[in-house]
Amino acid sequence: MIKTAHIGVGISGQEGIQAVLASDYSFSQFKFLQRLLLVHGRWSYLRMCKFLCYFFYKNFAFTMVHFWFGFFCGFSAQTVYDQYFITLYNIVYTSLPVLAMGVFDQDVTEQRSMEYPKLYEPGQLNLLFNKREFFICIAQGIYTSVLLFFIPYGVFADAAQLADYQSFAVTVATSLVIVVSVQIGLDTGFWTAINHFFIWGSLAVYFAILFAMHSDGLFQMFPNQFRFVGNAQNTLAQPTVWLTITLTTVVCIMPVVAFRFLKLDLKPELSDTVRYTQLVRKKQRAQHRCMRRVGRAGSRRSGYAFSHQEGFGELIMSGKNMRLSSLALSSFAARSSSSWIETLRKKKGGDSNASSPSGGADKPLKG
Amino acid sequence: MAVNYNAKEEADGHTSGVGVAGGGAAGGAGKSRKPDNTAFKQQRLPAWQPILTAGTVLPAFFIIGLIFIPIGIGIFVTSNNIREYEIDYTGTDSSSPCNKCLNVSWNSTPPCTCTINFTLDQPFETNVFMYYGLSNFYQNHRRYVKSRDDSQLNGDNSSLLNPSKECEPYRTSENKPIAPCGAIANSMFNDTLELFHIDNETRIPITLNKKGIAWWTDKNVKFRNPFGTTNNLTALFQGTTKPVNWPKPVYMLDSEQDNNGFINEDFIVWMRTAALPTFRKLYRLIERKNNLQPTLQAGKYSLDITYNYPVYSFDGRKRMILSTISWMGGKNPFLGIAYITVGSICFFLGVVLLVIHHKYGNRNNSADIPN
Repeated sequence: MIKTAHIGVGISGQEGIQAVLASDYSFSQFKFLQRLLLVHGRWSYLRMCKFLCYFFYKNFAFTMVHFWFGFFCGFSAQTVYDQYFITLYNIVYTSLPVLAMGVFDQDVTEQRSMEYPKLYEPGQLNLLFNKREFFICIAQGIYTSVLLFFIPYGVFADAAQLADYQSFAVTVATSLVIVVSVQIGLDTGFWTAINHFFIWGSLAVYFAILFAMHSDGLFQMFPNQFRFVGNAQNTLAQPTVWLTITLTTVVCIMPVVAFRFLKLDLKPELSDTVRYTQLVRKKQRAQHRCMRRVGRAGSRRSGYAFSHQEGFGELIMSGKNMRLSSLALSSFAARSSSSWIETLRKKKGGDSNASSPSGGADKPLKG
Repeated sequence: MAVNYNAKEEADGHTSGVGVAGGGAAGGAGKSRKPDNTAFKQQRLPAWQPILTAGTVLPAFFIIGLIFIPIGIGIFVTSNNIREYEIDYTGTDSSSPCNKCLNVSWNSTPPCTCTINFTLDQPFETNVFMYYGLSNFYQNHRRYVKSRDDSQLNGDNSSLLNPSKECEPYRTSENKPIAPCGAIANSMFNDTLELFHIDNETRIPITLNKKGIAWWTDKNVKFRNPFGTTNNLTALFQGTTKPVNWPKPVYMLDSEQDNNGFINEDFIVWMRTAALPTFRKLYRLIERKNNLQPTLQAGKYSLDITYNYPVYSFDGRKRMILSTISWMGGKNPFLGIAYITVGSICFFLGVVLLVIHHKYGNRNNSADIPN
C-alpha cells in the first residue's frame, strides 16, 4: 500500500523498519502525520505551485521577445540579447530568488495551519496549479514579452541617439531582469532575510556582471567574445533608457497587482483571510502592549474560550468587526464551536448574557 | 472539531511519547535523530509577510498616476520643442532631382550628383545634428551582424592578415585578406552630403563637423589601427586589400591621420549596427557659431548629394535629417504619449478599484484596522 500510494508514510517502531524502507516519509509516532499533512505537505504544495508558475512565466517573458523581434530582423533568428546574458539569465540572474521562494515560502504559520485544517482543501482539489493556472502564467509571460519588446521598439524606432542593436539589447535585458525581479517580489509571500539577500543580490549581480562584461579590460583580452565594450556605460547613462525601463516595469506589474488585489478583495480564499487576521492580531497585540489597561471594568476575555490560544475573542469583543461578511463566516463555520457563532449572533442582537447556545436568538447577520 | 482532536492527540501523544522516550532511554545513549530546534531548521525564521490591502494598493495606483502624467507631459513638451527636418532623397519619384541616380551602381564613374532645394520655416537654435537615414535595410539580420572581426578592427596584426571565418564571403578578395573584412564593413554608406545656405542667390557652405560623431569608447578602445612603429597607414595595411564594394581602401578614408584607417568616425558609426530596419545614423555636426545667431536660420537651403549608395534594388529609402536634440535625444513623441497614457490608466484603475472595493469589498480586509 505504501508503494502504490501517492505519498507513502511509514511509522518506525518496535515492530521493525520494513515500512520505513518502503515509504517516502517515515516518523516514529502516528500523531506526526497531522503535521506532515497539514503543515509540511500543504506548504510543499504551495511552494511547488508558485515555483512552477513563476518559472514558466519568466522563461516565456524571456524567450517570446525573440519571437516579436523576428518580425523586424527578417526572421533571421538574431537574438535580442547579448550571448552572455542568455547564458547567465537562468543560472545567475533569476535562479536564486525563485529557489528561496521554493524553500522558505509560507502562507500561514504552522499554528494556523494546524488550527484550520480546511486550508488543506486547495491541495486536494488541485486548485493552485491546473490547466487554467498554467495558461494564465503563460499568458502573463507572453503579455510581458510583448511589452518588453514593443516599448523599447517605440522609443528607439527611428531614433538616432540609441538606435543601435547593442543599446537595444542592454535596454531590453535590463528591463527583463527588473520586471521578473519585481514579479518574484510580488510572488514571495514570506520574506526572510535570505529572500531579501537573494532578490536584491541577484539584481546587484546582474549590474555587476553587466558592467564587468562591457568593460575595456575584458575586451582587450578577448575582443571577439566581449563585443559589447562601452555599452553599459553609454546606454545606462541616458535618462531615456531608465524612463523606458520604468515604464515597462509599471505596465507589466500593474495589471498583476490589480488582479490580485481584486481577488483578495472580492473572493478571498481561506488562507488569505487567515493571513489577514494574523496580521490584524499582530497589530492589535502590539498596540495593546503599548496601551495601558487601566480601569477596564470586567475582563475583555469572554467566558467562552474556543481554542487554547486567544482565538477571535478580543477581535470580536472589541465590537468593530461585527460586519463580518457571510462569506468569511461560512468558511469559518466549517470550524468547530457553534457556540462562537451563536454568541456572535447574540451580541448583534444586543443580548449581553452568554446564555446557552441552543437558546440563542436567531437574528440574521448583516453581510 | 480540530481543537478537540488536537487535545485528544496531545493526551495520547504524551503517554505514547513517554513510552517511546522510556524505550529510547532504555535502549542506550544513542544519538538523537531529532532535528535541531533552530529557527532555520524549524522554519520559524522571522519574516515580513506583505499583504495587498486597499491601504497599500490604492494609494500606489494614485501615486503612480500622479507621477507619470506630469513626467509624460514634460517629455512630450520637450519632444515637441525639438526641431526636425527630413528629406527623402532616394529619387523614386520621377519629379525628384535624384531620380537620375536611382539605378547607380557602386562603382559608377563619374559619380552621380544631384541637388535638392528646401526651405526651413523656423530657425534651428541650438546645435544641429545631421543624420542619414535608411529604410528597409536590415542591419539586424543575424548573418549580417556576425559578419565582422572585432580583433582585426582592434588592430591585432595577426587578425589583420588572417581574418576570422565569420567574415565569409567577404574575407578575402584576389587572394588577399580584406581589411576591414565582413559584410557590415563592405556595405558602408558612402554618399556625400553637403549643405548650403542660399542667401540672395549666393550659396554659403555650412561647416559640417565630422569629428565627435562616434562613441568615445568605440573610437579609443574598440577600434584601433594596426600596431606598428610607423605612422604611415599605407604601410601598416600592407598585404591587405580593400573591401569589394569600396571605392577606396580603408587607409584613404580621410586625409587627417586621426580619422583615417579603422578609426575613421564614419566607419565606426556604420559598424555600430542598428537594431531595427528603419534607422538613422549621425553623419555630421553643425555647431552653433555664437549665441546671437541661430545655428540654421530660417530660409532657403540646398543639399548637394553625391549619390554612390544604391538602395533601390531592395526597395530601400535614403533620407537626410536635420535635427536638434535635447536631454532625451531626438524627436520622439512615443515616450511622452506612453507615459501620459499609462499614468491616466493607472489613475483611472485606482478610481475603479476604489469604487469596487467600497461597494463589494470584503469589509474584513478594509484598510482601517480597528485600534
